[in-house]
Amino acid sequence: MSDKKKIVAVTSCPTGIAHTYMASESLEEAAKKMNVDISVETQGSVGVENELSEQDIKEADAVIIAADTNVSHERFVGKYIEEVAVADAINDAEALINKALEGAEKGEVKEDVALEAQVEDEKAKRKQKRTGAYKHLMTGVSFMLPFVVAGGLAIAISFVFGIDAAEESGTLAAALMQIGGDAAFALMVPILAGYISFSIADRPGIAPGMIGGMMASQLEAGFLGGIIAGFLAGYVTQFLKEKISLPKNLEGLMPILVLPFLASLAVGLLMIYLIGPPVQAIMTGLESWLQGMTDANAALLGLILGAMMAFDMGGPVNKAAYTFGVGLLGSNIFAPMAAIMAAGMTPPLGLALATVLFKDRFTRQEIEAGKPAWVMGISFITEGAIPFAAADPIRVIPSIMTGSAVTGALSMLFGAGLRAPHGGIFVLPIPGVVTNLGLYALAIVAGTIVTALMLRITKPKLKNA
Amino acid sequence: MEVNEFINQDLIKMELQSKDKDSVIEEMIDIMVENGIVSDKEEVVQKAMEREAKGTTGVGRGVAIPHVKSNAVKKAAVAFGRSSEGIDYDSMDEKPSYLFFLITVPEESHNEHLKILAQLSRNLVHDDFRDSLLEAESAEDVMEILEAI
Repeated sequence: MSDKKKIVAVTSCPTGIAHTYMASESLEEAAKKMNVDISVETQGSVGVENELSEQDIKEADAVIIAADTNVSHERFVGKYIEEVAVADAINDAEALINKALEGAEKGEVKEDVALEAQVEDEKAKRKQKRTGAYKHLMTGVSFMLPFVVAGGLAIAISFVFGIDAAEESGTLAAALMQIGGDAAFALMVPILAGYISFSIADRPGIAPGMIGGMMASQLEAGFLGGIIAGFLAGYVTQFLKEKISLPKNLEGLMPILVLPFLASLAVGLLMIYLIGPPVQAIMTGLESWLQGMTDANAALLGLILGAMMAFDMGGPVNKAAYTFGVGLLGSNIFAPMAAIMAAGMTPPLGLALATVLFKDRFTRQEIEAGKPAWVMGISFITEGAIPFAAADPIRVIPSIMTGSAVTGALSMLFGAGLRAPHGGIFVLPIPGVVTNLGLYALAIVAGTIVTALMLRITKPKLKNA
Repeated sequence: MEVNEFINQDLIKMELQSKDKDSVIEEMIDIMVENGIVSDKEEVVQKAMEREAKGTTGVGRGVAIPHVKSNAVKKAAVAFGRSSEGIDYDSMDEKPSYLFFLITVPEESHNEHLKILAQLSRNLVHDDFRDSLLEAESAEDVMEILEAI
């Protein structure tokens, strides 16, 4: 029994209507007569049918490719391949099978060649994986971007009506804040997570991804939490898709019931029990740590606050710094607040500057996104930097942290103070709000330039820019 | 989805008149034109010839399956023709062809249609399927054989 030979074959022809299937049938017929196991994949007009599994290929003694189109050899590395025109399989499949088996017997695949090809294959796979994760991230970012821009600009415009105008309900400023802050920005992280997951697991990934992203928001885990949620949801959904097999008549339930429900449940629970507690711990831990630092060296405090502002842009670390600064306003200490706002402005400003100065390091989409980033930067909407940071966190986050740290330290050194907890440059001209205005502006400009230069150093040139 | 959605007795010609490859292709396409399946004969003839130039559809064992994918085709259809004398169709086994299936499909075709045609192609490989077509006495017989696919 074990010496029964096994062959895998691929048939294909240009129109894909007739020859592909005749060749497949001929091969199957001949193999049956010769007592040879065969699996034939047809690449015809219906698409690929009876696709060869890895198991099939592994077990095969020889490979037959009967095609008048280009059939990739990649899958068959290390196997003896008999490649002929599709007509040859229709004409005399028996002779073809014999030829393939004889060729395989002679061992016409040289071992070293096969090994080398295997190494290449493995490398290619790894590379593909890397571009895979990057691709998922980019998909999420490109869907999130419009939400950031629309929301950010709506909030920025609301400041034009006066810095606290949005607090009076019923006004246009309040409406703009509701559009930008409560709606657009609330959707930002769920959309990011949802489309990362979509990129991994296709449509069934959207619901668990968005739900996971929403939970990242609710747990105040910020966009970094959202990225985790997106990947978690995508891979969980993909895993379930591969592992669960339902009887054929229930298969329709998979994408609408089984996958979204089970994957959302799994991701939701993971977010609550695995992501939630550390996020809470980080926030409270950092807050009390900062409380203890009130008397520390001013420049050092500014440095730390600045770096924290840029680290996760709305996540727990950023929140801890911001809450600290706002809390001090109540005690009539205004310098940390100034450092915090300045440091929150430089990430989008520095990125916007970098997209202008170093165009060859950004995608076209990012260069476009640089324009609204100016507006968000001057308005202290740090979220304007999120699309850039989410697309390339390892390079962008350290860059903007450096810039913000410089700004924060300078602001403290210059003795700048700020009595309003938000507002960006719109609060600067209001008399009495900012002390040491000129030097404060200088701190912001310096941080912006440092951020852009850091990006110049860390980000590689893009090919085909 | 059944075979009789593609072929009916009007699309079957039990005795083809042609003696050579070019004219038998045209004769088969004429059947389609008469039945309103092909709207532009010139276009379809040209497409069929182009396909033959890429490689003959005379697949041997006395069978030829010229086929065309074109927007001049209104619906997926199959015409069947038989020549008792045999026609030199430039076949892969260099023997004359007796059984002719002309397959025409529109550019955008439903997968279900294509699957049926694939099934027909598969059957042509079997000796007894071809023999019964050679022995069929009427278009009715042919339909019966095809419907049994």
